Amino acid sequence: MYWEKELEILDRKSLERLQVERLNRTLLQAVNAPGYRRIPKIAALARSGISSIEQLRELPFTTKSDLRDNFPWGFLAADKRDVVRLHSSSGTTGNPTVVYHNRHDLASWAKLMARSMFAAGVRDSDVFQNICGYGLFTGGLGFQYGAEKLGCLSIPAGAGNSLRQIKLMRDFGTSVAHAIPSYLGRLFEVFKDEGLDPRRDTQLRTLIIGAEPHTEEHRQRIEEMFGVKAYNSFGLTEMNGPGVAFECTEQNGLHIWEDAFAVEIIDPESLQPVADGEIGELVMTTLDRQAMPVIRYRTRDLTRFLPGDCQCGRSHRRIDRISGRSDDMFIVKGCNVFPMQVEGILMKLPEVGDDYRIILDTIADQDEMIVEVEVKREWFTGDLAFLDRLQRHITRLIRDEVLVRPVVSLVEPGSIPKAEGKAIRVFDRRKN
Amino acid sequence: MSYQVSIFIENKLGRLEKVTALLRDAEINIRSVHLNHSAKGWGVLNLVVSDPELAQRVLNEGGMSAALREIAVVEMADNPGGLNKLLAEVVRAGINFTNAYGRVVSDGDSAFFMIDIQDIPDAREKLTKVGLKIIPDLQVYGL
Repeated sequence: MYWEKELEILDRKSLERLQVERLNRTLLQAVNAPGYRRIPKIAALARSGISSIEQLRELPFTTKSDLRDNFPWGFLAADKRDVVRLHSSSGTTGNPTVVYHNRHDLASWAKLMARSMFAAGVRDSDVFQNICGYGLFTGGLGFQYGAEKLGCLSIPAGAGNSLRQIKLMRDFGTSVAHAIPSYLGRLFEVFKDEGLDPRRDTQLRTLIIGAEPHTEEHRQRIEEMFGVKAYNSFGLTEMNGPGVAFECTEQNGLHIWEDAFAVEIIDPESLQPVADGEIGELVMTTLDRQAMPVIRYRTRDLTRFLPGDCQCGRSHRRIDRISGRSDDMFIVKGCNVFPMQVEGILMKLPEVGDDYRIILDTIADQDEMIVEVEVKREWFTGDLAFLDRLQRHITRLIRDEVLVRPVVSLVEPGSIPKAEGKAIRVFDRRKN
Repeated sequence: MSYQVSIFIENKLGRLEKVTALLRDAEINIRSVHLNHSAKGWGVLNLVVSDPELAQRVLNEGGMSAALREIAVVEMADNPGGLNKLLAEVVRAGINFTNAYGRVVSDGDSAFFMIDIQDIPDAREKLTKVGLKIIPDLQVYGL
């Protein structure tokens, strides 16, 4: 029933005691990092220690820009020799967000992943196909290590190449697969094109979907297409990646692992905790990470605690599926994109006008990021080949920056409405 | 030297109509229409008109992106085999082009072949060398 029974069903009182103990250890570790050492409140509490988890609120927040401003080593709290891996968000222009792990951190993350997958009903007898990008993206290696820890036969399939995904599924009898929800619609189309029905022609019984916000209706559609249960996974690079919060087989909210993270939900304006059950911004503190502890990280993800206990018996609270963001970041094809990243590229190109639009749309069952740019009149020479080259050039620059291949659309000058005040640049027309 | 007017247009309902309305209001006659489509949602419309400079101005003032592009125009016979005969000479001149179009000048008698190529001075020289006559601009514009 549980992967780590004693921790998963720990009574709230003991769980909070464990959190206090681990937070004190985390603070002592955090002050090794210059980014935290110079904050007097953190240095003081690291010295004195805290006695109740409520004292977490006395600590300052950490934001994404704090992490970026201290790039590359400012939040590293361990000797570089002990660090064995880094993961990083996208970024070739600005500073990326980098998270470092030592051996303990990777082992701790793998345990959380194994625990999460087990909660969703995955067992060591399963054949697990990981349909997502490996490399700097945490979804690849995060699930890989978890599946190995759990004892599944793992297939590190990587992202894309639907025909090969289907062949792997059929050849090796894949019973569990992990993918971003927007890809599964596409994969289903390829099944149909091949005259195959995943219900009949695979041994799939469980899907794990995550890295992209999606609705309950979208989940149900995926479950119908594949004839399986689909479980929601939540994570973010700053908190390791996947394995932060996970649905159990009750499919009623995501248990957020409170032995590994101290979790708050705050009003993004007042920065005060919201009433229980109300939607606010998720704020998280690592409790079991050594190389790079992060204190009160403002995730910008909006969610709420679900009231009541879960039927499964786990004592870790459940959060609702992510309902939005408190900033302008959006997620497409599993990648986090800030409009400013796209703008930064466009504004460096002399051929391109000042106005642009980012349209998120579902085309042939796949989410796409369409970037509309105006070609300046003085750069137009009537040469179609020039426009083609420009379009390919912009596509590549944006792809290198945000790791998602955009559909770049050149439009007539003046056809994008002029920005007044704070322009709305992103239009989300995705169907899910 | 002859010029075509090249206009950047999006593949949207009413774009061609807008171009032609602007030209109509300026009393510009269109002699040839050629649409080059990119399959990416936009294309380039190439026009031979009675007054290319005026056309470029009114189109740009009307919010379009219009450029003047030099072309090499040669004559062919308006009968079966006419274009082939001309092209044999063009091949002999060693000219490879990606964009070209034609228009009838006199029914059953003569037609013009417009060649849109990057290096026009080079093309002109090579075409003249094999004995082809470059049509002067006023004739191209139908004046």
